[in-house]
Amino acid sequence: MSLKRVFKAQWLLATVMLLGLLVSACTTSSTPSTTNSNTPGTNTGGGPAFPTSPLALRTPSFGQQEAPTVKVLSSADPTVIVQFTLTPASIKALFPNATALVTVIEGNPAVSDFDTVIVDAQNMPPNQKFTVFFTELSAKPFGHAEYVGDVITRGDGSAESIFHLIALGAFAADNRAPTVTSTDQTGEASGIQLEHVGMWFDGVRAARQVLNNPNIPGTPFDGGAGALHAGPQAMTDGQTQPVI
Amino acid sequence: MQFVRRIISKCAIPLATLLLILSMQAGMASAATKAATTLQSAAKSLSQANDINASAAFLRQLQRAGKLASSVHVLSSLGQTTIVQFALVPSGIKQAFPNATGLVTIVRGDRNNAFSDTTIVDVQHMPPNITFTIFYIELANKPFGNVEYVADLTTRGDGSGETIFQNIAFVAFAMDARNPGTSTDGQEGITSGINLEHMGMWFSSLQAAQKVLNNPSLQGTLFDAGNPPLHAGPQAMTDGQTLPVF
Repeated sequence: MSLKRVFKAQWLLATVMLLGLLVSACTTSSTPSTTNSNTPGTNTGGGPAFPTSPLALRTPSFGQQEAPTVKVLSSADPTVIVQFTLTPASIKALFPNATALVTVIEGNPAVSDFDTVIVDAQNMPPNQKFTVFFTELSAKPFGHAEYVGDVITRGDGSAESIFHLIALGAFAADNRAPTVTSTDQTGEASGIQLEHVGMWFDGVRAARQVLNNPNIPGTPFDGGAGALHAGPQAMTDGQTQPVI
Repeated sequence: MQFVRRIISKCAIPLATLLLILSMQAGMASAATKAATTLQSAAKSLSQANDINASAAFLRQLQRAGKLASSVHVLSSLGQTTIVQFALVPSGIKQAFPNATGLVTIVRGDRNNAFSDTTIVDVQHMPPNITFTIFYIELANKPFGNVEYVADLTTRGDGSGETIFQNIAFVAFAMDARNPGTSTDGQEGITSGINLEHMGMWFSSLQAAQKVLNNPSLQGTLFDAGNPPLHAGPQAMTDGQTLPVF
C-alpha cells in the first residue's frame, strides 16, 4: 500500500517537473522578442537578430547635373538607384510605341565591385538583337562609346537584360594622354565621361529589313568581325544632360 | 482424353492469364532494349556533336598559329560555350608581393542568344584590405593605350579576393564614333574601333599604393573613376602578354 503511494507521488512529481520545464521554455523564448521590439538589430540571446523597424530611405540629389528624365529613387544609404526611359530613335516611324526603362543600381561605393544595369524594353521590333552602349553624347555623333551588352527581343517585341559593370563612373580614356579630364557628378574626373545610354541594331542588314530601307549605312556599334556591320541607333535617352 | 479436356477446361483461364503475362513481359523487355539502344545512339551522336566545339577549336588553332597568348588555356566545354583562363602576374607589387597570383576565367555563352560574357577574377597573396580597379586595356604594359573600366576587387585580410561581372569581354573595344577607325581583333579579324584584349588591375587609390608599397613618390594614374583626376595608383597585376589574352 505504501509502495503504491510512493509510486503515485513520483508520477505527480514528474508531471509537475515536466510542466515547469514547458512553462520556463515558453517564457525564455518569448523574452528576447519583447526585448528586441524597440531595438533593431540587438542580439540578446546569442541567436540571429532581425531589424524590427523599417530602414530610413533617402533620395540623393544630383543638383542640376542630371537630365530631367532621370528619377532618383528613394533607397537605403549608401545605395543609389536611378531610372530613366529610352525613346525610339530610328525606329520611331515604324515603332512609335517602343519604350525601354533603364534602372541603374549603384552599390556601396566603398565595397561594391560594380553597378547593376537593367534594361527592360517593350513594343520593339520583334526577334531582333540590339546592342547597348554607354556613350558620351545621346545623339549623333555620339562621341566615345563603350559596348555594354545585348538585348534580344521576343516575338512580341519585349525583352530585358541585366548587366554587371561600372556604370555611374563609366569613362573612356587613352592612357597615352592621361591628363584629359571631364566633369561628372563628383566633379572633375579622369577621361571622358560616358553618361548616356543607347541601343543599336546589331546588324545593318536586319535594320534595313525591319525598317524597309536598303540605303541605311553601317555603324560601328557592335563588336566582332566586320567593321561598320551594325545598324542605326534604335533607342536613345535623348537627353543633353547626363542620365548616368 | 476426357482427363485432358477436363484439365484444359478447368485451367483455361489461368493458362491464358499466364500466357498473357509472359507475352507482356517479353514485349516490355524488347521495348526496353529498343529504348536503351535508341538512348545509347542518341547519347553517342550527342557526344560526337559535342566533341567538336568549333569556337574552342578555333581558339586553340589561333594559339598554335601564335595569334593568342601562350598563357591562355582554352578549356574543354560544350558547343556554343567558350571558356578561357589566363593568369595575372604581379607588376607594380612584384617586389613587395612576389607571390601574388590572379586567375581570370571568361565564359562566353551562345553568341546568338547570350546578353554578355561572364568574367571571374580570383586573386591570392595580394596586399590585404585594398580595393583594386579592373580594366580591359589595349596593351598589357605601359602606356596601356585605350582602356575600359569594368569592375573593382577588394581583398580580404589574407590578401585573397574575387569578383564576377557580366559585360562584353571577348569583343570589347574602345571607339570615338566621330572617327571609329578599325583594328584587327585576334579572333575576329578586322573590327570597328580599337580592340581591348588585355586585362590589368590597379590600386584604386594612390595614397593606399604609396602606403602599401612604402613609396611616397609614386605618381597618380587615371585608372579609377570619379573626382579628382589621376587619383588612382599604379598597376598591380597584369596579364603581361604581347599577344591577346581574350
